[in-house]
Amino acid sequence: MFGLTFLAVFALSALFYALARNKAAVLGGDTPRILHSRPNYHGFLAFLLSAIAGILVLLVVWVLWGAWIESRFIASILDAQPDLSPIEVELALSDARALSEGGIASRTDALREQVAREISGQTALHHYGTMILSLVAAAAAGLWCLRASHVGWRARNRSETIIRRLLALMAVIAVATTAGIVLSLIFETLNFFNNIDWQVHKFLFGTTWSPLSGVQEGKLDPDKVGAIPLFAGTLLITVIAMLVATPIGLFAAIYLSDFASAGVRAWAKPMLEILAGIPTVVYGFFAAITLAPFLRNTGESVGLSIASESALAAGVVMGIMIIPFISSLSDDVINAVPQSLRDGSYGLGATKAETIRQVVLPAALPGIVSAVLLGISRAVGETMIVVMAAGQGANLTANPLEAVTTVTVQIVMLITGDTEASTAAGPAFTLGFTLFCMTLLMNVVAQRIVRKYRELYD
Amino acid sequence: MLDDQKSMERVMADEDTKITAKGVDVFYGDTHAIKSVDVNIQNRAVTAFIGPSGCGKSTFLRCINRMNDTIDICRVTGDIHLDGQDIYARDVDPVQLRARVGMVFQKPNPFPKSIYDNVSYGPKIHGLAKNKAELDEIVEKSLRRAAIWDEVKDRLDAPGTGLSGGQQQRLCIGRAIATAPEVLLMDEPCSALDPIATAQVEELIDELRQDFTVVIVTHSMQQAARVSQKTAFFHLGNLVEYGETDKIFTNPEDPRTESYITGRIG
Repeated sequence: MFGLTFLAVFALSALFYALARNKAAVLGGDTPRILHSRPNYHGFLAFLLSAIAGILVLLVVWVLWGAWIESRFIASILDAQPDLSPIEVELALSDARALSEGGIASRTDALREQVAREISGQTALHHYGTMILSLVAAAAAGLWCLRASHVGWRARNRSETIIRRLLALMAVIAVATTAGIVLSLIFETLNFFNNIDWQVHKFLFGTTWSPLSGVQEGKLDPDKVGAIPLFAGTLLITVIAMLVATPIGLFAAIYLSDFASAGVRAWAKPMLEILAGIPTVVYGFFAAITLAPFLRNTGESVGLSIASESALAAGVVMGIMIIPFISSLSDDVINAVPQSLRDGSYGLGATKAETIRQVVLPAALPGIVSAVLLGISRAVGETMIVVMAAGQGANLTANPLEAVTTVTVQIVMLITGDTEASTAAGPAFTLGFTLFCMTLLMNVVAQRIVRKYRELYD
Repeated sequence: MLDDQKSMERVMADEDTKITAKGVDVFYGDTHAIKSVDVNIQNRAVTAFIGPSGCGKSTFLRCINRMNDTIDICRVTGDIHLDGQDIYARDVDPVQLRARVGMVFQKPNPFPKSIYDNVSYGPKIHGLAKNKAELDEIVEKSLRRAAIWDEVKDRLDAPGTGLSGGQQQRLCIGRAIATAPEVLLMDEPCSALDPIATAQVEELIDELRQDFTVVIVTHSMQQAARVSQKTAFFHLGNLVEYGETDKIFTNPEDPRTESYITGRIG
């Protein structure tokens, strides 16, 4: 119904577009240049005003009216059975809704049936009422615009102003969402620190991570929330991933930018970038099902005991995932090194290898460093691969053959576990916030380096 | 063929000839950029290539140290001999050739390294210095010859990219000299410079001919007249006229040369 109203408002606005445009064309007649704005803009302004008025009324009325009738239903449930708890009231309401739509309710009784009848009546009124109101609003705005337009009507300026404000609104939405997420992270983090009596050092430097064991009434034990094993695990896997990704990615980039013929480059570069398009969940089960058993069997044959969930398997696969980031970004910065520098070096009798090692790479180094840093922040935030392949136990070790856990894995465990959300959310949000700070820091450093690099050539 | 051989030998015998080109054609894909060019370049003199844009003078210059090898679609045919040796022969490594035939480019292109490292780059990769002291000496000598030593001697560790345009170009000349080449190719070395820096570089070029064979491509006919002893005029890929600079500018034989130097074509 909502969608239908939306479309109806749009169709009405389109009608006003045609009307306003037509009116302007008639006003212009044989001398269209006397019009301040071309007929298209007259139409466009009528369309914008009418659509905005209609959609605004639709949203506001829909939400407010909906909230108002819902409060009436709750009131009528409470009138009938004043001793119901809030959860039971909600259950009764959702049952009544299901009944009114012919669905299946958890229980059927007189109260629910009565409310269901009420809902059926009210809902129709709500839907049709909203539709009529928004169409009236759209029509009013459109008609006003149609009446007000004349030869000197500044339709172009007005519609451009409206568009500019709409664009600004979208930008505000994006920024406000980011700010909201960060604020909620900070709020939950402070909440968590309050829960462990502000013993922040025990979270940052403690070595035992078992936040939910023996939790009673949402009170956490500060001695069991030491995040060091998680950060150590994240660090270990990140190091392994970067050891795999940096050389392969960088050398692939050097090959593609300086050695490969145009033909090879044309298909190799897109192929490499397809690697970036593989969902990480696919990498995850590749690590868990293919690579980890392979490593374990290989290890056994040479007398090494490798856990079936190991930091090595997760790290190697994560490294493969990061290769395209490193190679693609490095390729861009290596290509950005001016040909004149290469010519200068060749002109002195340097070989290709000498030129790349002594001129091209040093010139591209800042960009390569920032590519690696971006790769690291991908590795630190990566979740699916480690959930499947790295293990869950908080195990403080530097041995890549053992199972370790990472910050992201523990967040998943906390949120998807069966502990009450309000208790589990604290540590999860805090870990998330720490992770956010780490990746933010790395991205800032990477961007600084890139900017410095740009200054060198421009 | 026999005649060619004979004339080539006669040229070899002439000690004053450094580079001999015979029947050189260059193609960029389907474009015929240089058409059967013959030229003998005199040892320890400055030879200027002049001509309108796109006439092939830079392309021909880049044939002399095989810089065109780095362009995939470029194909060179014909003979170019340096001291009697065919530089397009199968056993010639372009890398070694370029150590003997240095190049200075149109736009100053110092490496984003220190001034010292810019100059020591060539000597290092060719192993010209046994130790740090020798390397220091080469760097100083080269920078002195490039007439920039006094300006940079106190900041050899500063990046070469921080110098002014004229200083950068002289640094690039110093960098080319440091490799101890026999021939120095200059592709419009002053086109990115202001008149004062241009005058400094021109003065430098005039001095360099004591030790090097210099070939310079230029758009400025005044510059060609000022610095060169020999001038070659290229037009539409052909070498139209080649001779003593004085003669080319005062009494050209070909009507096209006359039109160009008097400003009617180009």
